[in-house]
Amino acid sequence: MKQHPLCTDCEHDGNVMDLPIPAKLKQEWAAIETRRNFLGRTGKVMGWAALASLLGEGGLSGNANAADSSARGPAAKQDLVLPHFAPKARRAIYLFMSGGPAQMDLLDYKPNLAALYDKDIPDFVRGNQQLTGMTTGQARFPIAPSHWEFKRYGQTGTWVSDLLPYTGKMVDDLTIIKSTNTDAINHEPAIMLMNTGNMNAGKPCLGAWLSYGLGSMNDNLPTFMVLQTKLNWKENNQPVSSRLWSSGFLSSQYAGVGLRSGGDPVLYLSDPGGVSREVRRKMLDAVEEINRQTMAEVGDPETNARIAQYEMAYRMQSSVPELVDLSKEPQSTWDLYGPDAKEPGTFAYNCLLARRMAERGVRFTQIYKRGWDMHDNVAGMMPMLCGETDRGCYALVTDLKRRGMLEDTLVIWGGEFGRTVYSQGGLTKENYGRDHHPRCFTTWMAGAGVRPGITYGETDDYSYNVVKDPVHVRDFNASILHCLGIDHNKFTFKSQGLDQKLTGPVPANIVPGILA
Amino acid sequence: MTSTKNAQKPAGRSIRSFTARRSQWAGVLLTSAGLIALPEILKLDGKPHADWQQFLGRLHPLAVHVPIGLLVLLPVLEIAGARKPALREAAELVLGLACVACLGSMVLGYLLAFGSGETGPILSRHLWGGIALSIGLMVCFLVRPAWSKGASTLYPAILCGALFALIWTAHQGGSITHGESYLTAYMPPRMRAFFGLSPANTGRTNTGSFYAKRIQPILDANCLACHGPSKSQGGLRLDSYEELIQGGKDGPVIVSRDFTHSLLLQRITLPVDNARVMPAEGRPLLKAEEIAALRAWVEAGASPQAETVAVVADSKQPEEAPLQPVGDYSAFTSELAVMRASQGPKLLAVSGKPSDGLILNTADAPDGFDDAALARFGKFAPYIVEVDLARTAVTDKSFETLSAFPNLRVVHLEGTQVSGTGVEKLGHLSQLSYINLSETKLSPAALASLRSLKTLKHLYIFDTPAERVSNPASSR
Repeated sequence: MKQHPLCTDCEHDGNVMDLPIPAKLKQEWAAIETRRNFLGRTGKVMGWAALASLLGEGGLSGNANAADSSARGPAAKQDLVLPHFAPKARRAIYLFMSGGPAQMDLLDYKPNLAALYDKDIPDFVRGNQQLTGMTTGQARFPIAPSHWEFKRYGQTGTWVSDLLPYTGKMVDDLTIIKSTNTDAINHEPAIMLMNTGNMNAGKPCLGAWLSYGLGSMNDNLPTFMVLQTKLNWKENNQPVSSRLWSSGFLSSQYAGVGLRSGGDPVLYLSDPGGVSREVRRKMLDAVEEINRQTMAEVGDPETNARIAQYEMAYRMQSSVPELVDLSKEPQSTWDLYGPDAKEPGTFAYNCLLARRMAERGVRFTQIYKRGWDMHDNVAGMMPMLCGETDRGCYALVTDLKRRGMLEDTLVIWGGEFGRTVYSQGGLTKENYGRDHHPRCFTTWMAGAGVRPGITYGETDDYSYNVVKDPVHVRDFNASILHCLGIDHNKFTFKSQGLDQKLTGPVPANIVPGILA
Repeated sequence: MTSTKNAQKPAGRSIRSFTARRSQWAGVLLTSAGLIALPEILKLDGKPHADWQQFLGRLHPLAVHVPIGLLVLLPVLEIAGARKPALREAAELVLGLACVACLGSMVLGYLLAFGSGETGPILSRHLWGGIALSIGLMVCFLVRPAWSKGASTLYPAILCGALFALIWTAHQGGSITHGESYLTAYMPPRMRAFFGLSPANTGRTNTGSFYAKRIQPILDANCLACHGPSKSQGGLRLDSYEELIQGGKDGPVIVSRDFTHSLLLQRITLPVDNARVMPAEGRPLLKAEEIAALRAWVEAGASPQAETVAVVADSKQPEEAPLQPVGDYSAFTSELAVMRASQGPKLLAVSGKPSDGLILNTADAPDGFDDAALARFGKFAPYIVEVDLARTAVTDKSFETLSAFPNLRVVHLEGTQVSGTGVEKLGHLSQLSYINLSETKLSPAALASLRSLKTLKHLYIFDTPAERVSNPASSR
């Protein structure tokens, strides 16, 4: 049998260039090869550098796009193309509920479950759904009805759990999606899929894509910022890593910039004692000069990203203290956000900060709240989590609305998956646990680009399967991009020979039913 | 020895073959009678029956190609056999196989029709064509030996007849699957005239109504193959307004002004992997704009006469007026790029389309941006649709400058020293729909003049003196 020419254990060396592939692709490979050789031959660096300057940007680099955009500052080129159409939303705030909130205890009201207490979930409902390692050993899957009562709120009469009294007050402004569903059943792949459109690490996240595509509205602050909520050690906190706000194959200047929840918002941002602003400026100028030489020698676009990041840090030295200075906030702010908001690192504080960032032109802010992973003691932990987040969510949406900002800001709330209707571990009248559940979970959006006061999608009587209008993670992300004026199919970046996009290779669709 | 044997053999054979022939005739007669009686015994009552029948029956469209192939081969073998006798021997086998295959297909086809509960004039033509063809083929098989001995010319005549029956039957079958007009839809006009077909696809009168222009073409293109004159699955026909409104076995499919309870719209909006989604059997789903048109038409009352129906993706919210295009600012491209690359105020494109206009953005350096700085953007005035002056140093004088921005839609003045004096100067801006004066010194008097701005739809006065005296609702 003839071996494939690309096979590494070939008897003879196959030449890639002999394969029947498009000439354009061959050129691209040839260009990559050139760069590899060029990096190897250090002795001839200067000659190559001279040639590189003659050829112009991207002439030698296989990744011309990255070189262009990072050398010319964020989105210099993209700006002429993107957004694809006039957007409804100019910025977005994503409240990420890491761990997977239990939909049937919050917004997916299932009154019929009370009668099914401790009955086994029928096989036809569970179907061939994979179990996590935590419940495979379980002999029974007893149904655990929600511990909390539900009430109808607003003009829309939407059912909301007693856990979320503040959310209840704003249901008429929300677009609740009960049919969100994902492919992954464990935290890491699910949270990666939700954020980057792919279960494996290495792809840019939503914020990085937006930052790359739409560019900055304020050069003094990062385009994409991440706020982590201070941990509550009584909760079951799943780790949240910087992979989730990474820029993947995009230039690293598009990665999210995190503010710390305590102490200095950005470490080492303040100048050390004895170093004046002028000295810092001189030092940065010198470092930039060295970096530019390196860029000319090596041609790695990441060098430009580094230059841009130093400059951003310098500007943040004055913009960040102004951003986090809440002394000028009126009393109405504290009335709305509650006492928690005065304490840095709380969810309410982060929501307030997110509003201030939105005012200052930050494109995309993501707030992470961990602790929703309730494998046991749902009755004990749910009030804690909801108590920490409910008011902040309400305050943010309400604040944006009264300030006229909800007209061009999109707010997104959601976790990486839902939770099972059956109890993990022992089920009692007082308490139960819930395992991971990918087939359906509830998310909501509010503001620019989405239809207020609707509930989209339906789940079955067990909140187990979607029975109407499913919204896959891909469709969810495609719809977010649509609100920001981006056609997800056209928004691509070439990497590893593929036109990569946030929604991945599997067809995705915007969800017209939720869009305004 | 040899000669006697040879002499005796034909005689013995002919007796045996005579009895064999008799039983063959009897078999053919019985089978034919059975075939003819079949529709009487197992009546096609238009109701679906057992699943296994449909499962096997759905092999019919595949299986029919076996007898068709064999029957096309048969005359070729017979004609070529005049020169190569071996081929004639093969022909006998092929004919036999064709008979068996034909009967097999008949059975599968009948299972399909019976199992799925399909009826209709085309189906019965197809059925009787199939019966005639099977009988014809069996008779061919019986009379062929006489023809090969040169004793009769019945065989070629019946074979010709059978081939015509094959073509006709196959055409009827195709009409069931693809719809009656499948073959002729794209026929050149002259050929249509030759076959006596009307020049238009159908005789439907185009009244110019929304139904005729937008709805019926959607149904024609997507639904008629199964819900048309030739085949009315579920008792539903969609080839005219009356039939659409009448509905099918499960009742009406359109509920006027009620999108969610209209069965037709429910079925076409199911997800692609749902077993009940329409169009069925893997045919492409309707396009979003087609669904939107159907939906808008139903919500508007499903009238056959209405000439216009506002087609919007979402019928609950009226479509916003399209943005007024602004002029082309490409002449300033390099100037815009310089601004973008440096700190300070800059003009950002609303979108990749220049006609969507520019946004004046001052978020970088709001402190230094005053009325004079704003005035410097006067030359871009026709292209600017949104100004973000939040937290800048501009004053009430800015209204004078802004009044010369003809395409202005959105004005942000949050956190400025503006009190609203002179805001009425914006009155003539025909596109202005949003003003945000939150956290300004907006006076109650200015609020009154703001309220007189006709085009304004969104006014925000949160945390201003004006808000504190007027009602707390910050938006109108």
